[in-house]
Amino acid sequence: MNQLHIPLESTKLDNGLRVVISPDRTAPVATLGVYYNIGFRLEPRGRSGFAHLFEHMMFQGSEHAGKMMHIKLINSSGGVLNGSTHYDVTNYYESIPSNALERVLWLEADRMRALKVDDENLRNQRDVVKEEVRVNVLNQPYGGFPWLDLPPVAFRNWPNAHNFYGDFADLDAATLDDVQQFFYTYYSPSNAVLLMIGDVTPDEGFTLARRYFGSIPAGPPPPTADVSEASFEGLRRGEVEEKFGTLPAFAVGYRAPERRKPDWYALAMLDHALHGGRAGRVYRRLVLEQQIAVDTAGGIHYPVGDLFDYNGPTLLVSRVLHKPEYSSDQALEAYDAVIDAVCQQGIEQDELEQVKVKFRSEYVSSLEGGQGASIPRYGLMHYLACFTLFDNDPSLVNSILGGFLQVTREQVREAAQRYLDPKRRAIVFRQPTRTGVAA
Amino acid sequence: MMATIAMNDPFAQVPALGPERPVVWPARTHRKLANGLEIVLVESHTIPKFTGELYFRSGNASAVAQAPALAEITATVVRTGTEERSSRQIEEDLRRIGADIGTSAGADTSAIGFNGLVEFSLDLLKLVAELAQRASFRENEFERERRQMIEGLRIARTTPSFLANERMCRVLFGAHPYAIIAATESQVKEYRLAQLAEFYRAHYRPGNAVLIAVGDFAAPQMMEQIDRIFGSWKPAEVPGVPAVSLPRLRGRHVHLVHLAESVQTQVLVANHAITRKHPDWLRLALANSIYGGAFNSRLIMNIREQKGYTYSPRSSVHALRQYGYFTVNTAVRNDVVAATLTEIFYELDRMRSLAVAEDELSDARTYMSGVFSLGLATQDGLASQLSNVYLYDLPEDYVETLRQRVRALTAADVLAAARAYFDSANAQIIIVGDRRQIADQVGLFGQITEYDAEPN
Repeated sequence: MNQLHIPLESTKLDNGLRVVISPDRTAPVATLGVYYNIGFRLEPRGRSGFAHLFEHMMFQGSEHAGKMMHIKLINSSGGVLNGSTHYDVTNYYESIPSNALERVLWLEADRMRALKVDDENLRNQRDVVKEEVRVNVLNQPYGGFPWLDLPPVAFRNWPNAHNFYGDFADLDAATLDDVQQFFYTYYSPSNAVLLMIGDVTPDEGFTLARRYFGSIPAGPPPPTADVSEASFEGLRRGEVEEKFGTLPAFAVGYRAPERRKPDWYALAMLDHALHGGRAGRVYRRLVLEQQIAVDTAGGIHYPVGDLFDYNGPTLLVSRVLHKPEYSSDQALEAYDAVIDAVCQQGIEQDELEQVKVKFRSEYVSSLEGGQGASIPRYGLMHYLACFTLFDNDPSLVNSILGGFLQVTREQVREAAQRYLDPKRRAIVFRQPTRTGVAA
Repeated sequence: MMATIAMNDPFAQVPALGPERPVVWPARTHRKLANGLEIVLVESHTIPKFTGELYFRSGNASAVAQAPALAEITATVVRTGTEERSSRQIEEDLRRIGADIGTSAGADTSAIGFNGLVEFSLDLLKLVAELAQRASFRENEFERERRQMIEGLRIARTTPSFLANERMCRVLFGAHPYAIIAATESQVKEYRLAQLAEFYRAHYRPGNAVLIAVGDFAAPQMMEQIDRIFGSWKPAEVPGVPAVSLPRLRGRHVHLVHLAESVQTQVLVANHAITRKHPDWLRLALANSIYGGAFNSRLIMNIREQKGYTYSPRSSVHALRQYGYFTVNTAVRNDVVAATLTEIFYELDRMRSLAVAEDELSDARTYMSGVFSLGLATQDGLASQLSNVYLYDLPEDYVETLRQRVRALTAADVLAAARAYFDSANAQIIIVGDRRQIADQVGLFGQITEYDAEPN
């Protein structure tokens, strides 16, 4: 029960491309992904939002598949596709009937080998991305809260602290040269992993991977980057105006440990005890019992990532929307009482046991699920990619659970004291400019 | 020589699709207990979990005479306590067995959704049964949830997509209960706990319910378990939903919901359409896929990939139990609202006037049948496909035969569906944005009626 047995085979091509295959014949469909070891953390200075804009450009044409052909070829094979930009990885993926496997590999290899885009494509996608930012951030209640609000308050090093979706002026400044430069720097086979999950045999998958990806030149390794962050000293506070939403809100960020360090396992259990749904201490206390808050949520690397998909400084985040009749100070005080209790007493033994069962259950579901049911096993693909690119060990997907299930109460209490320090954290307040009348 | 080179270059041409592997739907166990509860089970051994829903064929539409969105607040309060367990105990018991429950209601249904580790299936199903039969409706839980709902509504009424959808349902459905998707704040304040308890007593009944479960279990044992847990549930007659006809909408009309300081405009174009039981359903679904349902559809290629007006345009066909509707939905920058509407109608009219070419048709058929088969691969995917069959009273072999029925569709089918349901001349245009920036543009497309974010 501490160890899963998901079948995995992996290899590395001569050009450095890693290939991971997880066969499963449940249905005649497959999910494929190419993950590049580059995300918005390392986009160029003066080019905030560029990694994501670049991701859009990868759908605009490659040498043998011009604009619109990529999308058309996947859809007309019965499949769906998308891409997404994260802190430390960018992915491109498809779910398809398995008879389209070779076609999809051809497309992915073609754009890894030779992106072919022009100024018109760049203008077009710059406009599309601006509407994306408007629909997700600028024209929504609590848009970007707190994923765009916290980093500039919590961090000092630009890679960790800038606007990841992009200032419009920076998006406007991006050129086709930037696109080609970014492509040559980061989109080489040795900086990527190819994943095939579902109705594919390892023999078939590896053969096709060699056929289409094998001849792509390895390219130079990307430059090393300094993403280090001095540890917090003192309380860092920020305020952001909330233009639409009616409730005041705040988010708190504590520095999280590196993945796979002993503290990481313990903090993950503590995080679940605090933020795990309606049984979690923060929601239970603030929403259900004291009824100061209307909604709470949180997690390690929350909300645009999770425990497994970061590879640099990040935060354990809590997010609280509270009733307007309570001041920010009152709401924060109530939140702090919850944090103080786990720092003083840790959590109960029974609570820890419950959390472990729930954690195991959610982990298993996250492997199978993804984006509704439209990308089967997106989660498995995603975790395999991170374990390959960050840890060089895809089999962690099977063994990682063990470390969480061994965590003790004492370790949880120690982690609470070490990480949930009220004097070393970042807080961002969202204050509505128009508040509803109290009921 | 040239030919040899071409053959050696793996990039020279697009690889053909391989032979299709058979798509086989897993066997289904379907049974009705003596008390009328319908049970549908499918084994899926991908992960050691199971997932499902206990659906009641009564939602907000069944309660409209009592109070708007009454089914929704009832479902919310159902999870907060039973005769045996307090709210806190329910949440901790769920965590103890690694399970989740979600109670919800829409226009046609109320549901208790569940998923958990199959090793604890007995405990989870017992809790589901408890929630379905012995919810306790405590005053303090109700009052908290009432306030939560009010705060949720205040935020929803600053959310463009919610405002567009709310206005659209009022326009399309008029006096029909489907017109109301959310209560107003004052209506929520008027709810009485007795109304919730009464809705629950009347509608949460086995003869009104279907229990769908998919997962890593043996169906015969699971059936036995469910029979033991739910067999003693008392049946009762359940009141039906009143049949009300829809308003006749003639001519384009613009419904402008003012949201001050919007930096983007939500555009929603809608028509009456059909239910899933209608013989034209798949024809319309295929036409929709070509028009604006798929990523490579005409509308998306036009207003996103060519013109860059928007990030997320999409057209959809929606089916409720009594009626259906067709929507085109997108959020665009304020200065291209008129340009966007022009393209939306241009593409609608092109679908209505010209038959699609054979290759575009064939691509769309493959897309629709291919995407459908993706649902086979996961427990959630199977559960959602089955829900459609049983909630909309579709034929027992609906999912199994869908792919072949899609493949039989012709260009004439698509044209006929577009002519019948892409009714551009009578389309209702719902706009959410800052009227000062967009009123001039939308006035070109029909008479404007303006609204505030508060309904009525």
